[in-house]
Amino acid sequence: MERVATAWAIFQGLLLEAIPFLLLGVVIAGLARWLVPQGAWISRLPRHPVLAPITGALMGFALPACECGNVPVARRLLASGAPLGTGFGFLFAAPVLNPIVLASTWAAFPDQPWLLIARPLGAFLLAILLSLLLAQLPEAQLLEAALLSERRLSQPLRKLDLLQRGSGLIGAPLPASTAPRPQRPSLRDVLDQSSREFLDLLALLVLGCVIAATVQTWLPRSWLLAIGGAPTGSILALMLLAVVVSVCSSVDAFLALGFAAQVTPGALLAFLLLGPVVDLKLAGLFTVLMRPRAIAITAVAASLGVLLIGQWVNLWQL
Amino acid sequence: MSRGLLLILWGWMVIWSVLSGRLDLLLRGVFHSLVGASGAVLLAAGLLLVIRHRRRREATRWPWLISAALGCLVLLIPPNPSFSDLASNRPQGLPEPTELAFVLPPEQRSLTEWVRLLRSQPDPQLVDGNPVIISGFVWRQPEGPPLIARLTVRCCLADATPAGLAVAWPEDAEPKANQWLAIQGRMTVAPRHGEPTAVVVPTVIKPIPRPERPLEP
Repeated sequence: MERVATAWAIFQGLLLEAIPFLLLGVVIAGLARWLVPQGAWISRLPRHPVLAPITGALMGFALPACECGNVPVARRLLASGAPLGTGFGFLFAAPVLNPIVLASTWAAFPDQPWLLIARPLGAFLLAILLSLLLAQLPEAQLLEAALLSERRLSQPLRKLDLLQRGSGLIGAPLPASTAPRPQRPSLRDVLDQSSREFLDLLALLVLGCVIAATVQTWLPRSWLLAIGGAPTGSILALMLLAVVVSVCSSVDAFLALGFAAQVTPGALLAFLLLGPVVDLKLAGLFTVLMRPRAIAITAVAASLGVLLIGQWVNLWQL
Repeated sequence: MSRGLLLILWGWMVIWSVLSGRLDLLLRGVFHSLVGASGAVLLAAGLLLVIRHRRRREATRWPWLISAALGCLVLLIPPNPSFSDLASNRPQGLPEPTELAFVLPPEQRSLTEWVRLLRSQPDPQLVDGNPVIISGFVWRQPEGPPLIARLTVRCCLADATPAGLAVAWPEDAEPKANQWLAIQGRMTVAPRHGEPTAVVVPTVIKPIPRPERPLEP
Protein backbone atom coordinates (compact mmCIF):
# COMPACT_ATOMS: atom_id res chain seq x y z
CA MET A 1 0.00 0.00 0.00
CA GLU A 2 2.94 2.30 0.74
CA ARG A 3 4.14 1.81 -2.83
CA VAL A 4 0.75 2.75 -4.26
CA ALA A 5 0.69 5.93 -2.15
CA THR A 6 4.19 6.78 -3.35
CA ALA A 7 3.26 6.15 -7.00
CA TRP A 8 0.18 8.35 -6.55
CA ALA A 9 2.32 11.18 -5.19
CA ILE A 10 4.87 10.86 -8.02
CA PHE A 11 2.00 10.92 -10.53
CA GLN A 12 0.67 14.14 -9.02
CA GLY A 13 4.14 15.70 -9.00
CA LEU A 14 4.77 14.87 -12.66
CA LEU A 15 1.33 16.04 -13.74
CA LEU A 16 1.32 19.33 -11.83
CA GLU A 17 4.80 20.14 -13.04
CA ALA A 18 3.93 19.40 -16.69
CA ILE A 19 0.54 21.18 -16.90
CA PRO A 20 1.97 24.75 -17.03
CA PHE A 21 4.34 23.81 -19.85
CA LEU A 22 1.61 22.04 -21.80
CA LEU A 23 -0.64 25.05 -21.38
CA LEU A 24 2.15 27.38 -22.48
CA GLY A 25 2.62 25.33 -25.63
CA VAL A 26 -1.10 25.37 -26.42
CA VAL A 27 -1.28 29.13 -25.81
CA ILE A 28 1.72 29.77 -28.08
CA ALA A 29 0.22 27.54 -30.78
CA GLY A 30 -3.11 29.41 -30.47
CA LEU A 31 -1.45 32.82 -30.55
CA ALA A 32 0.60 31.84 -33.59
CA ARG A 33 -2.61 30.82 -35.34
CA TRP A 34 -4.27 34.12 -34.48
CA LEU A 35 -1.38 36.54 -34.97
CA VAL A 36 0.10 35.04 -38.10
CA PRO A 37 -2.56 34.21 -40.67
CA GLN A 38 -2.21 30.72 -42.02
CA GLY A 39 0.03 30.46 -45.02
CA ALA A 40 1.50 33.92 -44.78
CA TRP A 41 4.86 32.76 -43.51
CA ILE A 42 4.57 28.98 -43.68
CA SER A 43 4.93 29.13 -47.44
CA ARG A 44 8.26 30.95 -47.07
CA LEU A 45 9.85 28.20 -44.98
CA PRO A 46 12.60 26.31 -46.83
CA ARG A 47 11.55 22.91 -48.18
CA HIS A 48 15.06 21.63 -48.74
CA PRO A 49 15.44 18.25 -46.95
CA VAL A 50 18.32 19.53 -44.81
CA LEU A 51 17.48 23.22 -44.51
CA ALA A 52 13.92 22.48 -43.37
CA PRO A 53 14.89 20.59 -40.17
CA ILE A 54 17.65 23.12 -39.47
CA THR A 55 15.07 25.91 -39.64
CA GLY A 56 12.71 23.96 -37.38
CA ALA A 57 15.46 23.22 -34.87
CA LEU A 58 16.47 26.88 -34.68
CA MET A 59 12.84 27.90 -34.11
CA GLY A 60 13.19 26.30 -30.68
CA PHE A 61 14.78 29.51 -29.45
CA ALA A 62 11.36 31.15 -29.75
CA LEU A 63 9.71 28.71 -27.33
CA PRO A 64 11.16 28.57 -23.84
CA ALA A 65 9.37 25.38 -22.86
CA CYS A 66 10.11 21.74 -22.32
CA GLU A 67 9.10 18.71 -24.38
CA CYS A 68 5.42 18.83 -23.33
CA GLY A 69 4.92 22.39 -24.56
CA ASN A 70 6.42 21.95 -27.98
CA VAL A 71 4.04 19.13 -29.05
CA PRO A 72 1.04 21.44 -29.65
CA VAL A 73 3.29 23.97 -31.41
CA ALA A 74 4.77 21.29 -33.68
CA ARG A 75 1.28 20.00 -34.40
CA ARG A 76 0.13 23.50 -35.33
CA LEU A 77 3.14 23.90 -37.63
CA LEU A 78 2.42 20.62 -39.42
CA ALA A 79 -1.32 21.23 -39.59
CA SER A 80 -0.63 24.63 -41.17
CA GLY A 81 1.30 22.98 -43.98
CA ALA A 82 4.87 23.60 -42.81
CA PRO A 83 7.47 21.28 -44.37
CA LEU A 84 7.66 17.97 -42.50
CA GLY A 85 11.34 18.55 -41.76
CA THR A 86 10.61 21.90 -40.13
CA GLY A 87 7.83 20.49 -37.93
CA PHE A 88 9.85 17.50 -36.80
CA GLY A 89 13.10 19.47 -36.51
CA PHE A 90 11.28 21.78 -34.13
CA LEU A 91 9.63 18.90 -32.24
CA PHE A 92 12.88 17.10 -31.51
CA ALA A 93 15.30 20.01 -31.03
CA ALA A 94 13.19 22.66 -29.31
CA PRO A 95 13.21 20.96 -25.87
CA VAL A 96 16.99 21.46 -25.76
CA LEU A 97 17.66 24.37 -28.11
CA ASN A 98 15.89 26.96 -26.04
CA PRO A 99 17.24 29.64 -23.70
CA ILE A 100 15.91 28.14 -20.46
CA VAL A 101 17.31 24.67 -21.04
CA LEU A 102 20.69 25.98 -22.17
CA ALA A 103 20.85 28.25 -19.12
CA SER A 104 19.94 25.42 -16.74
CA THR A 105 22.58 23.15 -18.32
CA TRP A 106 25.14 25.87 -17.85
CA ALA A 107 24.01 26.44 -14.24
CA ALA A 108 24.28 22.73 -13.46
CA PHE A 109 27.60 22.09 -15.20
CA PRO A 110 29.59 25.35 -15.26
CA ASP A 111 32.84 23.38 -14.91
CA GLN A 112 32.16 21.11 -17.91
CA PRO A 113 32.27 23.39 -20.96
CA TRP A 114 32.32 20.44 -23.35
CA LEU A 115 28.81 19.50 -22.17
CA LEU A 116 27.51 23.01 -22.82
CA ILE A 117 28.54 22.59 -26.46
CA ALA A 118 27.85 18.88 -26.84
CA ARG A 119 24.26 18.99 -25.58
CA PRO A 120 22.84 21.56 -28.03
CA LEU A 121 25.02 20.22 -30.84
CA GLY A 122 23.93 16.63 -30.16
CA ALA A 123 20.26 17.65 -29.95
CA PHE A 124 20.62 19.56 -33.21
CA LEU A 125 22.20 16.59 -35.02
CA LEU A 126 19.68 14.17 -33.56
CA ALA A 127 16.76 16.37 -34.66
CA ILE A 128 18.09 16.57 -38.20
CA LEU A 129 18.74 12.82 -38.33
CA LEU A 130 15.24 11.97 -37.09
CA SER A 131 13.60 14.51 -39.39
CA LEU A 132 15.46 13.19 -42.42
CA LEU A 133 14.50 9.65 -41.49
CA LEU A 134 10.81 10.38 -40.89
CA ALA A 135 10.60 12.42 -44.10
CA GLN A 136 11.29 9.17 -46.00
CA LEU A 137 7.86 7.87 -44.98
CA PRO A 138 4.82 8.87 -47.03
CA GLU A 139 2.74 11.43 -45.12
CA ALA A 140 -0.16 9.00 -44.91
CA GLN A 141 2.00 6.50 -43.03
CA LEU A 142 3.69 9.11 -40.91
CA LEU A 143 1.09 11.57 -39.66
CA GLU A 144 -1.85 10.88 -37.37
CA ALA A 145 -5.12 10.74 -39.31
CA ALA A 146 -6.73 13.94 -37.98
CA LEU A 147 -3.49 15.89 -38.39
CA LEU A 148 -3.13 14.58 -41.94
CA SER A 149 -6.65 15.76 -42.85
CA GLU A 150 -6.02 19.16 -41.31
CA ARG A 151 -2.70 19.45 -43.14
CA ARG A 152 -4.27 18.58 -46.49
CA LEU A 153 -6.89 21.28 -46.01
CA SER A 154 -4.15 23.85 -45.71
CA GLN A 155 -2.26 22.75 -48.80
CA PRO A 156 -2.91 23.93 -52.37
CA LEU A 157 -5.03 21.45 -54.30
CA ARG A 158 -2.29 21.31 -56.94
CA LYS A 159 -0.14 19.38 -54.46
CA LEU A 160 -2.72 16.68 -53.80
CA ASP A 161 -4.02 13.93 -56.02
CA LEU A 162 -7.71 13.35 -56.63
CA LEU A 163 -8.14 10.76 -53.86
CA GLN A 164 -6.34 12.93 -51.35
CA ARG A 165 -8.57 15.88 -52.20
CA GLY A 166 -11.66 13.76 -51.81
CA SER A 167 -13.43 15.75 -54.53
CA GLY A 168 -12.99 17.04 -58.08
CA LEU A 169 -13.46 15.94 -61.66
CA ILE A 170 -11.08 13.73 -63.60
CA GLY A 171 -9.54 15.71 -66.39
CA ALA A 172 -10.87 19.03 -65.17
CA PRO A 173 -8.14 21.69 -64.96
CA LEU A 174 -7.37 23.03 -61.51
CA PRO A 175 -7.53 26.73 -60.87
CA ALA A 176 -4.14 28.45 -61.07
CA SER A 177 -4.05 29.10 -57.36
CA THR A 178 -6.31 27.16 -55.08
CA ALA A 179 -4.45 27.73 -51.83
CA PRO A 180 -6.74 29.02 -49.11
CA ARG A 181 -6.43 32.75 -48.63
CA PRO A 182 -4.86 33.69 -45.31
CA GLN A 183 -7.59 34.53 -42.86
CA ARG A 184 -7.23 35.57 -39.26
CA PRO A 185 -9.49 33.44 -37.07
CA SER A 186 -11.46 35.18 -34.35
CA LEU A 187 -10.25 34.93 -30.76
CA ARG A 188 -13.36 32.87 -30.01
CA ASP A 189 -12.38 30.31 -32.63
CA VAL A 190 -8.85 30.22 -31.27
CA LEU A 191 -10.14 29.64 -27.73
CA ASP A 192 -12.48 26.91 -28.96
CA GLN A 193 -9.76 25.08 -30.83
CA SER A 194 -7.10 25.59 -28.15
CA SER A 195 -9.38 24.27 -25.41
CA ARG A 196 -10.06 21.11 -27.43
CA GLU A 197 -6.38 20.72 -28.14
CA PHE A 198 -5.45 21.21 -24.48
CA LEU A 199 -7.97 18.63 -23.27
CA ASP A 200 -6.85 16.12 -25.90
CA LEU A 201 -3.20 16.54 -24.96
CA LEU A 202 -3.94 16.59 -21.23
CA ALA A 203 -5.67 13.20 -21.47
CA LEU A 204 -2.54 11.79 -23.10
CA LEU A 205 -0.28 13.52 -20.61
CA VAL A 206 -2.25 11.98 -17.74
CA LEU A 207 -1.76 8.56 -19.31
CA GLY A 208 1.98 9.17 -19.69
CA CYS A 209 2.30 10.34 -16.08
CA VAL A 210 0.47 7.23 -14.83
CA ILE A 211 2.89 4.98 -16.75
CA ALA A 212 5.99 6.96 -15.69
CA ALA A 213 4.98 7.02 -11.99
CA THR A 214 4.20 3.30 -11.99
CA VAL A 215 7.46 2.27 -13.65
CA GLN A 216 9.49 4.62 -11.46
CA THR A 217 8.02 3.28 -8.25
CA TRP A 218 8.53 -0.39 -9.01
CA LEU A 219 11.87 -0.19 -10.87
CA PRO A 220 14.70 0.47 -8.39
CA ARG A 221 16.83 3.24 -9.80
CA SER A 222 19.92 1.79 -8.14
CA TRP A 223 19.71 -1.15 -10.57
CA LEU A 224 20.21 1.25 -13.44
CA LEU A 225 23.07 3.15 -11.88
CA ALA A 226 24.80 -0.01 -10.65
CA ILE A 227 26.26 -0.54 -14.11
CA GLY A 228 27.22 3.11 -14.45
CA GLY A 229 30.96 2.44 -14.64
CA ALA A 230 30.99 0.36 -17.83
CA PRO A 231 31.24 2.56 -20.95
CA THR A 232 28.44 1.01 -23.03
CA GLY A 233 26.44 -0.29 -20.07
CA SER A 234 26.41 3.15 -18.48
CA ILE A 235 25.07 4.77 -21.66
CA LEU A 236 22.29 2.19 -21.98
CA ALA A 237 21.43 2.49 -18.28
CA LEU A 238 21.21 6.27 -18.38
CA MET A 239 19.17 6.15 -21.59
CA LEU A 240 16.68 3.87 -19.85
CA LEU A 241 16.69 6.14 -16.83
CA ALA A 242 15.92 9.18 -19.02
CA VAL A 243 12.96 7.37 -20.58
CA VAL A 244 11.61 6.28 -17.19
CA VAL A 245 12.15 9.43 -15.12
CA SER A 246 10.37 11.69 -17.63
CA VAL A 247 11.36 14.99 -16.03
CA CYS A 248 11.21 18.18 -18.07
CA SER A 249 14.24 19.16 -20.11
CA SER A 250 14.36 22.48 -18.29
CA VAL A 251 15.47 20.75 -15.08
CA ASP A 252 16.96 17.43 -16.16
CA ALA A 253 20.50 18.84 -16.00
CA PHE A 254 20.11 19.37 -12.24
CA LEU A 255 18.92 15.80 -11.86
CA ALA A 256 21.90 14.57 -13.91
CA LEU A 257 24.19 16.54 -11.63
CA GLY A 258 23.27 14.16 -8.81
CA PHE A 259 24.83 11.14 -10.50
CA ALA A 260 27.30 12.82 -12.85
CA ALA A 261 30.26 11.59 -10.81
CA GLN A 262 29.09 7.96 -10.94
CA VAL A 263 28.69 7.59 -14.70
CA THR A 264 30.77 8.03 -17.85
CA PRO A 265 30.65 11.36 -19.75
CA GLY A 266 28.96 9.66 -22.71
CA ALA A 267 26.24 8.32 -20.43
CA LEU A 268 25.68 11.77 -18.95
CA LEU A 269 25.26 13.28 -22.40
CA ALA A 270 23.02 10.39 -23.47
CA PHE A 271 20.71 11.12 -20.52
CA LEU A 272 20.52 14.80 -21.47
CA LEU A 273 19.89 14.06 -25.15
CA LEU A 274 17.41 11.21 -25.10
CA GLY A 275 15.02 12.37 -22.34
CA PRO A 276 13.76 15.44 -24.24
CA VAL A 277 13.01 13.31 -27.33
CA VAL A 278 11.74 10.01 -25.93
CA ASP A 279 10.23 9.40 -22.51
CA LEU A 280 7.22 7.64 -21.03
CA LYS A 281 5.39 10.89 -20.38
CA LEU A 282 5.68 11.81 -24.06
CA ALA A 283 4.51 8.43 -25.35
CA GLY A 284 0.86 9.46 -25.36
CA LEU A 285 1.47 13.02 -26.55
CA PHE A 286 3.23 11.84 -29.70
CA THR A 287 0.07 10.01 -30.80
CA VAL A 288 -1.49 13.35 -31.77
CA LEU A 289 1.33 13.80 -34.28
CA MET A 290 2.41 10.44 -35.58
CA ARG A 291 1.13 6.97 -36.28
CA PRO A 292 2.36 4.15 -34.00
CA ARG A 293 4.87 2.90 -36.57
CA ALA A 294 6.44 6.34 -36.92
CA ILE A 295 6.60 6.68 -33.12
CA ALA A 296 8.38 3.33 -32.92
CA ILE A 297 10.83 4.38 -35.64
CA THR A 298 11.47 7.63 -33.76
CA ALA A 299 12.13 5.80 -30.48
CA VAL A 300 14.49 3.26 -32.05
CA ALA A 301 16.36 5.76 -34.22
CA ALA A 302 16.73 8.27 -31.40
CA SER A 303 18.05 5.54 -29.09
CA LEU A 304 20.56 4.34 -31.66
CA GLY A 305 21.66 7.89 -32.47
CA VAL A 306 22.12 8.76 -28.80
CA LEU A 307 23.98 5.51 -28.15
CA LEU A 308 26.40 6.31 -30.97
CA ILE A 309 26.91 9.88 -29.77
CA GLY A 310 27.48 8.59 -26.22
CA GLN A 311 30.02 6.02 -27.41
CA TRP A 312 31.88 8.61 -29.40
CA VAL A 313 32.01 10.96 -26.40
CA ASN A 314 33.32 8.14 -24.20
CA LEU A 315 36.06 7.41 -26.71
CA TRP A 316 36.97 11.07 -26.77
CA GLN A 317 36.63 11.88 -23.06
CA LEU A 318 37.78 8.67 -21.30
CA MET B 1 -20.41 23.69 -22.21
CA SER B 2 -18.69 20.51 -21.10
CA ARG B 3 -15.28 21.73 -22.26
CA GLY B 4 -15.67 24.82 -20.10
CA LEU B 5 -16.59 22.72 -17.07
CA LEU B 6 -13.64 20.42 -17.64
CA LEU B 7 -11.25 23.36 -17.85
CA ILE B 8 -12.76 24.76 -14.64
CA LEU B 9 -12.25 21.38 -12.97
CA TRP B 10 -8.59 21.25 -14.01
CA GLY B 11 -8.02 24.90 -13.11
CA TRP B 12 -9.56 24.34 -9.69
CA MET B 13 -7.51 21.17 -9.19
CA VAL B 14 -4.32 23.07 -9.93
CA ILE B 15 -5.24 26.09 -7.79
CA TRP B 16 -6.38 23.85 -4.93
CA SER B 17 -3.03 22.07 -5.05
CA VAL B 18 -1.35 25.43 -4.55
CA LEU B 19 -3.73 26.72 -1.86
CA SER B 20 -3.82 23.51 0.15
CA GLY B 21 -0.03 23.44 0.38
CA ARG B 22 0.27 20.02 -1.20
CA LEU B 23 2.61 21.42 -3.83
CA ASP B 24 5.19 21.73 -1.05
CA LEU B 25 5.17 17.95 -0.94
CA LEU B 26 5.38 17.49 -4.70
CA LEU B 27 7.34 20.25 -6.39
CA ARG B 28 10.28 22.51 -5.84
CA GLY B 29 9.20 25.97 -4.65
CA VAL B 30 10.45 27.75 -7.75
CA PHE B 31 7.65 26.14 -9.81
CA HIS B 32 4.76 26.98 -7.48
CA SER B 33 3.91 30.38 -8.96
CA LEU B 34 4.04 28.96 -12.49
CA VAL B 35 1.63 26.19 -11.52
CA GLY B 36 -0.68 28.68 -9.78
CA ALA B 37 -0.69 30.96 -12.83
CA SER B 38 -1.57 28.06 -15.13
CA GLY B 39 -4.49 27.16 -12.82
CA ALA B 40 -5.78 30.75 -13.02
CA VAL B 41 -5.55 30.72 -16.83
CA LEU B 42 -7.43 27.41 -17.03
CA LEU B 43 -10.11 28.68 -14.67
CA ALA B 44 -10.56 31.89 -16.67
CA ALA B 45 -10.68 30.04 -19.99
CA GLY B 46 -13.20 27.57 -18.56
CA LEU B 47 -15.46 30.35 -17.29
CA LEU B 48 -15.32 32.09 -20.67
CA LEU B 49 -16.33 28.90 -22.46
CA VAL B 50 -19.15 28.19 -20.02
CA ILE B 51 -20.56 31.71 -20.43
CA ARG B 52 -20.31 31.55 -24.22
CA HIS B 53 -21.70 28.05 -24.68
CA ARG B 54 -24.17 27.89 -21.83
CA ARG B 55 -27.03 26.91 -24.15
CA ARG B 56 -25.10 24.68 -26.46
CA ARG B 57 -24.81 20.92 -25.95
CA GLU B 58 -21.62 19.39 -27.26
CA ALA B 59 -20.22 15.92 -27.36
CA THR B 60 -17.62 15.12 -24.72
CA ARG B 61 -14.81 12.78 -25.71
CA TRP B 62 -14.27 9.83 -23.39
CA PRO B 63 -10.51 10.43 -22.89
CA TRP B 64 -11.45 13.85 -21.52
CA LEU B 65 -13.84 12.23 -19.05
CA ILE B 66 -11.35 9.58 -17.93
CA SER B 67 -8.65 12.17 -17.35
CA ALA B 68 -11.18 14.40 -15.57
CA ALA B 69 -12.05 11.47 -13.29
CA LEU B 70 -8.35 11.22 -12.40
CA GLY B 71 -8.35 14.99 -11.85
CA CYS B 72 -11.22 14.53 -9.37
CA LEU B 73 -9.25 11.79 -7.61
CA VAL B 74 -6.30 14.16 -7.32
CA LEU B 75 -8.63 16.63 -5.61
CA LEU B 76 -10.04 13.98 -3.27
CA ILE B 77 -6.94 11.95 -2.42
CA PRO B 78 -4.01 14.06 -1.25
CA PRO B 79 -0.48 12.76 -1.83
CA ASN B 80 1.01 10.85 1.05
CA PRO B 81 4.26 9.29 -0.18
CA SER B 82 6.42 7.02 1.91
CA PHE B 83 9.66 8.99 2.03
CA SER B 84 11.53 5.96 3.33
CA ASP B 85 10.29 3.79 0.48
CA LEU B 86 11.06 6.50 -2.06
CA ALA B 87 14.58 6.99 -0.66
CA SER B 88 15.24 3.24 -0.71
CA ASN B 89 14.47 3.21 -4.42
CA ARG B 90 16.98 5.94 -5.24
CA PRO B 91 20.75 6.17 -5.04
CA GLN B 92 22.22 8.96 -2.96
CA GLY B 93 23.66 11.55 -5.31
CA LEU B 94 23.80 15.09 -4.04
CA PRO B 95 25.67 17.72 -6.04
CA GLU B 96 28.86 19.26 -4.75
CA PRO B 97 28.45 21.31 -1.56
CA THR B 98 28.10 25.03 -1.57
CA GLU B 99 30.79 26.94 0.24
CA LEU B 100 28.19 27.84 2.85
CA ALA B 101 28.33 24.34 4.31
CA PHE B 102 31.96 24.86 5.28
CA VAL B 103 31.45 28.37 6.58
CA LEU B 104 28.41 27.68 8.76
CA PRO B 105 28.95 26.74 12.39
CA PRO B 106 28.28 22.99 12.80
CA GLU B 107 25.12 23.46 14.84
CA GLN B 108 23.58 25.56 12.05
CA ARG B 109 24.11 22.98 9.32
CA SER B 110 21.03 21.22 8.05
CA LEU B 111 21.05 17.49 7.49
CA THR B 112 21.54 18.00 3.76
CA GLU B 113 24.46 20.34 4.36
CA TRP B 114 26.05 17.76 6.64
CA VAL B 115 25.76 15.09 3.97
CA ARG B 116 27.20 17.39 1.30
CA LEU B 117 30.06 18.34 3.57
CA LEU B 118 30.89 14.74 4.43
CA ARG B 119 30.76 13.73 0.79
CA SER B 120 33.21 16.42 -0.27
CA GLN B 121 35.42 15.88 2.77
CA PRO B 122 35.51 12.13 3.26
CA ASP B 123 37.76 12.18 6.38
CA PRO B 124 35.21 11.94 9.21
CA GLN B 125 37.84 12.73 11.84
CA LEU B 126 37.61 16.40 10.82
CA VAL B 127 34.05 16.65 12.17
CA ASP B 128 34.52 14.39 15.20
CA GLY B 129 32.92 16.01 18.24
CA ASN B 130 31.01 18.70 16.30
CA PRO B 131 27.58 19.58 17.70
CA VAL B 132 24.66 18.48 15.53
CA ILE B 133 21.09 19.85 15.44
CA ILE B 134 19.14 18.31 12.56
CA SER B 135 15.70 17.05 11.59
CA GLY B 136 14.59 14.45 9.08
CA PHE B 137 12.64 11.28 8.52
CA VAL B 138 13.67 7.77 9.49
CA TRP B 139 15.00 5.95 6.45
CA ARG B 140 14.71 2.21 6.82
CA GLN B 141 17.71 0.30 5.42
CA PRO B 142 17.65 -3.24 4.05
CA GLU B 143 20.70 -3.97 6.19
CA GLY B 144 21.88 -2.21 9.31
CA PRO B 145 20.26 0.46 11.45
CA PRO B 146 18.04 3.14 9.89
CA LEU B 147 19.41 6.54 8.85
CA ILE B 148 18.02 9.99 9.48
CA ALA B 149 17.38 11.47 6.04
CA ARG B 150 15.97 14.21 3.86
CA LEU B 151 14.86 14.22 0.23
CA THR B 152 16.20 16.84 -2.17
CA VAL B 153 14.45 17.73 -5.41
CA ARG B 154 15.46 19.69 -8.50
CA CYS B 155 12.04 19.55 -10.09
CA CYS B 156 9.40 17.29 -8.57
CA LEU B 157 9.06 14.18 -6.46
CA ALA B 158 9.99 12.10 -9.52
CA ASP B 159 13.61 13.21 -9.21
CA ALA B 160 13.82 13.17 -5.41
CA THR B 161 17.29 12.17 -4.20
CA PRO B 162 17.90 11.05 -0.60
CA ALA B 163 20.57 12.37 1.73
CA GLY B 164 21.06 10.27 4.85
CA LEU B 165 23.22 10.37 7.98
CA ALA B 166 24.12 7.39 10.17
CA VAL B 167 22.81 7.55 13.73
CA ALA B 168 23.94 5.62 16.80
CA TRP B 169 20.40 4.98 18.04
CA PRO B 170 20.01 4.52 21.80
CA GLU B 171 19.15 0.95 22.83
CA ASP B 172 15.62 1.89 23.91
CA ALA B 173 14.89 3.85 20.70
CA GLU B 174 12.60 2.24 18.15
CA PRO B 175 12.63 4.55 15.16
CA LYS B 176 9.80 3.78 12.77
CA ALA B 177 10.18 4.26 9.03
CA ASN B 178 8.90 7.66 7.81
CA GLN B 179 8.71 9.05 11.35
CA TRP B 180 9.99 12.63 11.52
CA LEU B 181 12.51 13.34 14.26
CA ALA B 182 14.47 16.32 15.55
CA ILE B 183 17.86 15.21 16.81
CA GLN B 184 20.39 17.03 18.94
CA GLY B 185 23.74 15.45 19.64
CA ARG B 186 27.30 15.37 18.43
CA MET B 187 29.18 13.84 15.59
CA THR B 188 31.50 10.94 16.25
CA VAL B 189 33.40 8.41 14.19
CA ALA B 190 32.43 4.74 14.26
CA PRO B 191 33.03 1.82 11.91
CA ARG B 192 30.17 1.15 9.52
CA HIS B 193 30.47 -1.46 6.78
CA GLY B 194 34.13 -1.82 7.72
CA GLU B 195 34.99 1.87 7.23
CA PRO B 196 35.26 4.78 9.65
CA THR B 197 32.06 6.76 9.21
CA ALA B 198 30.67 9.98 10.67
CA VAL B 199 27.81 8.95 12.97
CA VAL B 200 25.41 11.17 14.91
CA VAL B 201 25.28 10.32 18.60
CA PRO B 202 21.97 11.77 19.82
CA THR B 203 21.49 13.31 23.22
CA VAL B 204 17.89 14.39 22.49
CA ILE B 205 15.50 12.70 20.05
CA LYS B 206 12.12 14.36 19.66
CA PRO B 207 9.30 13.22 17.34
CA ILE B 208 8.05 16.12 15.21
CA PRO B 209 5.29 16.47 12.63
CA ARG B 210 6.28 16.38 8.97
CA PRO B 211 7.48 19.90 8.07
CA GLU B 212 5.29 21.98 5.77
CA ARG B 213 8.11 21.96 3.22
CA PRO B 214 9.76 18.57 3.64
CA LEU B 215 11.69 18.67 0.35
CA GLU B 216 14.99 20.53 0.12
CA PRO B 217 16.55 22.07 -3.00
